[in-house]
Amino acid sequence: MSIATAPLLLEDTPLGPKAGGLYRRQNALVGLIAGVVLAAIGWVISHALLQGSNWGSDMVVTVTLTCWVIGFNIGIGTFNAPFRWVVGKDSTREDELYGAGVGQGAARYWKYCTDHKVVGTQYFVLVMVLFAIGGTLAMMIRTQLITAHSSFLSPGTYNNIVTIHGMIMIIATIIMVSGPFANFILPIMIGAKDMAFPRLNAMSLWVVVSAVPPLLATFVLGGVDTGWTTYAPLSVQAPPAMDAFAICIITFAGVSVTVAGINTIVTVSTMRAKGMTMSRVPIFAWGSVVSAALGLYAMPAFLTAMSMMITDRATGTSFFVNQLGGAGWLWENVFWTMGHPEVYVILLPGVAALMEIASTFSRKPVFAYKAAVAAFVAIASLAIMVWAHHMFTTGWAPNLATPFMLTTELISIPTGVIFLVLIGTIWKGSIWTRLPMYFLYLFLWNFIIGGVTGIYLSDVPADQFFHGNMFTTAHFHYTLLGGAMIAATGAVCYWFPKMTGRMLNERIGKTAFWFIAIAFQVTYFGQFWEGFQGMPRRIAFYDPIFLRANQMSTVGAYFLMLGWMILLAAIIVSWRNGKIAPANPWHAKSLEWKVQTPVPLENFLVDPVVTSDPYTYGEGVPDGQNEPSAAPEPELVPVGASESSKGEGAS
Amino acid sequence: MSLTTSEHESTEDGEHHHEYLPAVEGAENPGGEHESAGERDKKERLMIWLFIGGDLVILILEVFAWFYLRTLDSNGMWNAAKCTAAANCVDGLGNPLIGPVPKASIWHPMIIMSLAIISALFVWAAESASRRKAAKGAVSGPALAALVCMIGAIVVQILQFQVLPFTTIDGGYASVYEFFMGSTLAHLLLMGFILTGLWTRAAKGRYQGGTFHRVRIMRMFGVWIAISTSVLAIVGGFFV
Repeated sequence: MSIATAPLLLEDTPLGPKAGGLYRRQNALVGLIAGVVLAAIGWVISHALLQGSNWGSDMVVTVTLTCWVIGFNIGIGTFNAPFRWVVGKDSTREDELYGAGVGQGAARYWKYCTDHKVVGTQYFVLVMVLFAIGGTLAMMIRTQLITAHSSFLSPGTYNNIVTIHGMIMIIATIIMVSGPFANFILPIMIGAKDMAFPRLNAMSLWVVVSAVPPLLATFVLGGVDTGWTTYAPLSVQAPPAMDAFAICIITFAGVSVTVAGINTIVTVSTMRAKGMTMSRVPIFAWGSVVSAALGLYAMPAFLTAMSMMITDRATGTSFFVNQLGGAGWLWENVFWTMGHPEVYVILLPGVAALMEIASTFSRKPVFAYKAAVAAFVAIASLAIMVWAHHMFTTGWAPNLATPFMLTTELISIPTGVIFLVLIGTIWKGSIWTRLPMYFLYLFLWNFIIGGVTGIYLSDVPADQFFHGNMFTTAHFHYTLLGGAMIAATGAVCYWFPKMTGRMLNERIGKTAFWFIAIAFQVTYFGQFWEGFQGMPRRIAFYDPIFLRANQMSTVGAYFLMLGWMILLAAIIVSWRNGKIAPANPWHAKSLEWKVQTPVPLENFLVDPVVTSDPYTYGEGVPDGQNEPSAAPEPELVPVGASESSKGEGAS
Repeated sequence: MSLTTSEHESTEDGEHHHEYLPAVEGAENPGGEHESAGERDKKERLMIWLFIGGDLVILILEVFAWFYLRTLDSNGMWNAAKCTAAANCVDGLGNPLIGPVPKASIWHPMIIMSLAIISALFVWAAESASRRKAAKGAVSGPALAALVCMIGAIVVQILQFQVLPFTTIDGGYASVYEFFMGSTLAHLLLMGFILTGLWTRAAKGRYQGGTFHRVRIMRMFGVWIAISTSVLAIVGGFFV
């Protein structure tokens, strides 16, 4: 049933010529210009006043890039609302609609737009750009390592590239699910009209955008050759590029991720549709909330660590300088307070998205839903008690090695539960093997390897051998790339029709999948081989005994990159010219599939009331007949869901 | 997920979700938001709690850094207590250093702490006035007093930078102490910004019409600022 007379869509609301106020004149280009101008002013003033003093170069770089971040955000509109608020001016409903992109067409994607779907799409594109940069740097690393003494890169350049590759990939993977999907999909999934704080939502996006140029500027500021962990005292002694690196992290972790995490938690906690009790919340929402909560613990630690480092470098404090009363161990403790929870910040939303996929394509409820939620919470709780396993070889607190080994190994229990949930969900299901399911299978394979090899690294004696060698590199790539990023790719394939209104080309997608799936194993089994042989990480030249394993890994990496490029091509081609997607191509049950595509502003023209959990597959259907094509549409469809989509078969 | 549809739920204001509200002078953000005061309150309170939670992590790590470096006393350079002329200690620029590094005055942080606490109490008074729908002067008056206290705290904090008996290069104690000061100043500036908004908006009568919850979240944050300032003042003042 649908209600016949739909009200006026909000996006069709005529706005007055002054709606939006200052926002009308602001966009990314204005932000860029304002950022460059303010950075230039900051450079001139700081250079005149500070250059030549102690730590002058560091202070100049810090001031200049801080000005860039502030200037860009002034130009894009981040500060409009706070300053309007402080002088007692309020925005009108027209202003709010303008801010949400009404009447601006594609231009809204270049603006400080508050519509969560626009922010989600902006994040999606940003993540792809970051992966393209990080992937290119990875290819340069692997090219250098294809021979034992390659002259492709100098050792210094190689180290700089390793650092920036690591940091870009960390940034990209932190936002790869929580950015696009927790923004675009999550509010619809829980029956909300938008995120709890739409302006903060837009802020979280544009702050990341402003954080990326300082990171790339490190290449022209002398480079950061410390690795992304930026251990002191190396980082304290590094060129001024390290200041740029710190500005990037303070901006990204201290502001963007923190604000985004708060927004996610508040949205799910307070804006669920009527009837959506916590036991009816889709599992993806749980994964996003737990990840956001963990990020709220981890990212302030990153902010603190980087703030201390930048004061060491630019003002002469000595937090991390042993001979002056500081301690390199202090850096490691504070850094890894962030560093290990951050792995689960990355992983949990992706895994939760896979649970949605498993349920939808197996036509079964999520197996042991409550156990899955408990596992998320247990992982998050344990994740904050394991940081020192990264310090087994440093000599810090040897008496604590055993407790930290145990807490680390304990994490394998809730992680195992997640595996059981995924396998239990697809077990004996009416499996519909579409592209998202391919990535689910690949995740299961990769993550079991990543997980099992992680146990070796949590074991103190084994870690003495593997720490700092290529085994570790292979391990965390299996978890972060083979696990989290493959999960995120599955999520892309799953929600692509809802986000873009087009079906992803599965023929090209499957081609990409096979390249990725096989080349990934070649690349990282090669690195396990290197690790077993004892090859250290982060070296530009190596002994010829490691040659075969490195060649295997490099060839695999080239094909892996080819696979990603094919997938990117599938995304671009499908987005431009793909088959028009019906509202619910997968016949899924959660709310995001019950609204029309494209999703209207504020999502629901009639407030949904939820009367059951999101996974009611097979109810009232005899065993064995719960085929995907026979899945019933909901009896009542919210206004706006197109009639043509009802009962439409899967493409 | 089974679902049904409902007509728009009436909000506490008796308005419907999808109707456009015209801007109304004197009400808190009248046209820009179309949800009830209760819904907004719930969201904003949770947001503030989460923000405080994140800030608490920073506070804990700052205090951890203090006690960790103090206990480790690496190279005897926590406060250079054993650095005699014969010990050949040097500061961060390589200049000879004879310890111990003098302690910072206890009075500056105590004054800042007191002003932050008094400021929070004034915000509390403003909230009470807003809650009982008192005249707008009963809200804006305490708000202005809170702002003045906060500006006073900021000024004292800046002054303390001028009169410190050490500089950043004088070892662990000097480093962490000045970091505490920077952290405190950042918090005070943020609170000063918020209090400026509270005062200007209260003066326009924005907190008269049952919108005390907006003042309440500022009070929550003000109390947190007072707590974090106090913790840093006490640790920095009494645990050298």
